Amino acid sequence: MTHATSLSRGGVNPPDNSLTSRTAAISNAAVPSLAVIPLLQHAGSAARCVVKPGDLVGEGMLIGKADGVHSANVHSSIPGRVLEVRAWQAPDGPPCQAVVIELLGAFEKSGRRQEMRVWESLPRIDVLGRIQAAGVVGLGGEQVPTHLKLAMAPGRAVSLLVANGVSCEPSLSADYALMKEKAREIVEAMKICRALLNPARMVLALGENAEDLVAEFERTFRTCGMTSEIVLMPSRYPQGNEQILLSSLDGTGLLSPPPSSSVVLNVATLNAVYEAVVFDRPLIERVLTVTGLPVAEPRNLKVRLGVRIGDLFDECGGLTAEIAKVVAGGPMRGVTVDSLDMPVTKGTLGVVAFSRAEARARRQWPCIRCGACIEVCPWDLEPTRLYKLIEQGDTATAEREGLSRCTECGCCAFACPSHIPLVALFRGGKEAHNRGSRG
Amino acid sequence: MTWRVTLCLLPAAGWGVFLFGLPAVLVLATSVGVAVAAELLSSLAFRRCTLGDGSAFLTGLLIGLLMPPGVPLYVPSAASVFAILVVKQSFGGLGRNWMNPALGGFVFALLSWGGAMTRWAAARGAPMSPALPPLEALRSALAATGAAGGSPLAILEKAGYPFSAVDASVVAWINTHVLLPLGTALRPGVFDLLTGHLAGRIGEVSAPLLLAGAGYLLARRIVRWEVPVLYIGTFGVLAGVFGGLSSGQGWLAGGPGFHILSGSLILGAFFMAGDPVTSPMTLTGRRIYGIGLGFLTFLLRFYGSLGDGVAVAILLGNCAVPLLDRLMRRRVPASARGGIE
Repeated sequence: MTHATSLSRGGVNPPDNSLTSRTAAISNAAVPSLAVIPLLQHAGSAARCVVKPGDLVGEGMLIGKADGVHSANVHSSIPGRVLEVRAWQAPDGPPCQAVVIELLGAFEKSGRRQEMRVWESLPRIDVLGRIQAAGVVGLGGEQVPTHLKLAMAPGRAVSLLVANGVSCEPSLSADYALMKEKAREIVEAMKICRALLNPARMVLALGENAEDLVAEFERTFRTCGMTSEIVLMPSRYPQGNEQILLSSLDGTGLLSPPPSSSVVLNVATLNAVYEAVVFDRPLIERVLTVTGLPVAEPRNLKVRLGVRIGDLFDECGGLTAEIAKVVAGGPMRGVTVDSLDMPVTKGTLGVVAFSRAEARARRQWPCIRCGACIEVCPWDLEPTRLYKLIEQGDTATAEREGLSRCTECGCCAFACPSHIPLVALFRGGKEAHNRGSRG
Repeated sequence: MTWRVTLCLLPAAGWGVFLFGLPAVLVLATSVGVAVAAELLSSLAFRRCTLGDGSAFLTGLLIGLLMPPGVPLYVPSAASVFAILVVKQSFGGLGRNWMNPALGGFVFALLSWGGAMTRWAAARGAPMSPALPPLEALRSALAATGAAGGSPLAILEKAGYPFSAVDASVVAWINTHVLLPLGTALRPGVFDLLTGHLAGRIGEVSAPLLLAGAGYLLARRIVRWEVPVLYIGTFGVLAGVFGGLSSGQGWLAGGPGFHILSGSLILGAFFMAGDPVTSPMTLTGRRIYGIGLGFLTFLLRFYGSLGDGVAVAILLGNCAVPLLDRLMRRRVPASARGGIE
């Protein structure tokens, strides 16, 4: 085990509210009676709908077929009947379609013992095919279809494969809980990925706040006959960001282009890879953290995709205060949802509720040019200037000054004493710029 | 945040009121009242209420603290109107002004009513008549006697500048009990300089209370330390090393302690130069700005004619801030720019 150096610059230390949910085991959330499953839950193009209203679907049955290679399959998370296929607008993406399924019939897979399938003797293309068929995408924030990351172009060598167990967001403990309970599955998945990519170096990256897991992983590596470095990362946000993680691992500067021969996979993604390859189980559920001050008992829940976000609070002892807003994702990068009817998708890392009092304390004031945002930006940008340029409608200049390098990590908005919603403005600015340069 | 800055100024303002009595209350009430009224007027004109951000109250309070206690009330009124309507609102309101509003209003008054702005009054317990702040007294003593020799306090003592009875007894006690056994002694006047038992602007006569408020602002990182600390440090070093040259006292005879404590340096460094709106946004920029302010203040105080040099130095510094920000702007490497060019 080694320690890695911190971010070269910037970053913040937001309060970690995950202490209550950290110690809790992952509990299963109730199966929804109605699931709303959007056909775009990944980076790339939406899946094509292969069911129609009235169809009966089984648990884990394909309902959206990947449209080309830059897309991912979507499966039904519950057995039932398709009520409708309707237009859908996610809070943070382009419009697509969603399949609404009403619970009906019996579960054929859940709760039954399943046969483990061998994969070691399979050709590489078949292993990849299982991952692709299961619709596995990145579960740690960026929902890139995993088969794209694992498919290696011929003649290209992968120098570094990282299993990313650094929390991608403060206050979310789902990855930690998963690593605690599924260490063997994650290590097996690392073996699968090693077989696919044959990397020169393998690293399991953990946050310093997960130091207690190191011994368990070292033991698991031994029993599984696996070798990998374990590197502890400083628990400073956004250390879990892929590019920052890589630059602290191999000591390159952030501004140099990222080494293209590295592959980073989140531990939750690895768990999904394991389930897909060994059990042929499609990605129809994920572990997420429900937290926030108004939540009575913050928890890590294993949730079926398509369940209503509002229903998750009932699993956590309900709400103790009136909520002002609910964010899908983490407190730093999450997207505010307009309605509690939004479903959980593959990319929902967590659900964070904010009380009225918290929202009031974040009342917005004018920018006072204090420069706090410049100091915390890990990408060496000037958020306050980008914000003013976008407000003036000059997205072209903002783009020249690095708007597209903004990863929306949220450090600036967190540090801003005037509580200016910088990240939301930057998202809008990028969209406006893309529209402008296309049109 | 602005309200907390205001809160940090209140002890010093209270001490000014205690020292100068009713005239100080009238000046402070006028400057704050007129500033708030001007803000209300612009709120009505622009149809968006900005009184709640507290910046008008703070600006008014700072203007009042920069006034001598005997000033006619139309001076702080005009200064407040100029600060709020011209310096701040005409550039778009809080956060968009390039000049510190309080300083803008103060310098406006200084240039318009130079006589009224030097209508000093003696503080409670200060046996002086006519009242004169120590810095002005030092100037006239130097002009009268030429190269008198010694530190600023020695020159003042020789010129017969009256210090209070409290000062005499406190300094005597410290000297006999602490310092004389160590082979050194304090000059009379040190205690008066610290507590303001002499003459001066309402807000500049209580260094310890200003520093206490500033300490809170620094601790809560509302004001960043780089500008005020580098400002006072640079000024102190320059005043100490070169300060004696302009009056023929020679090297190392400037008396940095006297010059830091007299005039409005402490008030200006923490509460006006430290204003984030009108200081550079980057760390390097703030360092250059702080050092530059110290240098400018030294030049203006020892070789200029406009009082203690603090206000004008900070205004000149304000003018350089956009340039400093521009020079410190991040250069985005072409490789990381994305494929639009």
